[in-house]
Amino acid sequence: MEENFDPDLIHAIFKLVWSRRNKKVEGNQGIDLEGGAGTSKKTRATTANASALKVSCELLRLFVAEAIQRAALIAEAEGIDIIEPTHLERVLPQLLLDF
Amino acid sequence: METLGDDGIGIGSGGESDKERQEEAEQEAALLRDRLRLSVISMASSHAKTLGMTISEPVVACIADLAFKQAEQMGRDVELFAQHAGRKSVNMEDVILSAHRNEHLMGLLRDFAQELKGKEPCTERKRTKKALKNENKVQEPIEMLD
Repeated sequence: MEENFDPDLIHAIFKLVWSRRNKKVEGNQGIDLEGGAGTSKKTRATTANASALKVSCELLRLFVAEAIQRAALIAEAEGIDIIEPTHLERVLPQLLLDF
Repeated sequence: METLGDDGIGIGSGGESDKERQEEAEQEAALLRDRLRLSVISMASSHAKTLGMTISEPVVACIADLAFKQAEQMGRDVELFAQHAGRKSVNMEDVILSAHRNEHLMGLLRDFAQELKGKEPCTERKRTKKALKNENKVQEPIEMLD
């Protein structure tokens, strides 16, 4: 596979997740009376460097590739050349455990 | 009965501005999910072709959704790792660590990271050499741990 995910897309997904978490943490700090030095670190937004994004893209690419390869093995074993949901179902548990 | 899968139930967020923000975030998530799905569709069809097989639509949709969930989970994991290391910024090692569940996978990522480091001085636009190298490595499925 020559193609890969767009690092900007992955970055956008990460930022969404981080801002979601940030809001939750800020919400909790309002309730949490202890506040103070310990929690101040967490309210700063997380960032990622460019190479980390590239490695993340690679990781997701491997995920997609593995899913297809493992499902394809099952389909091949059944003598079918089209990958069906039942094939994906069979490989899903181990796939999710591995990733 | 509540399970761990229930999200956002229990603690009231209170105030309408929170709900608006939540809706905005959901819309953004839907947009990103669609963009990811497009990428996955093209990757999946070309990969299936190289294997000499076709891939049915529901399977591609399922993989795309799973990939989105993986990406979200990855974001959470690397954020925690970086914070744990006292950093604000996620680096390559955080990402590699998040793949610790499969040794082989972690090794592949480390190699990829090494190659990236090696190419640091010149900005690579066409990663053809690296893509070829990786393609050779992932020819067989990743070994499953017993």
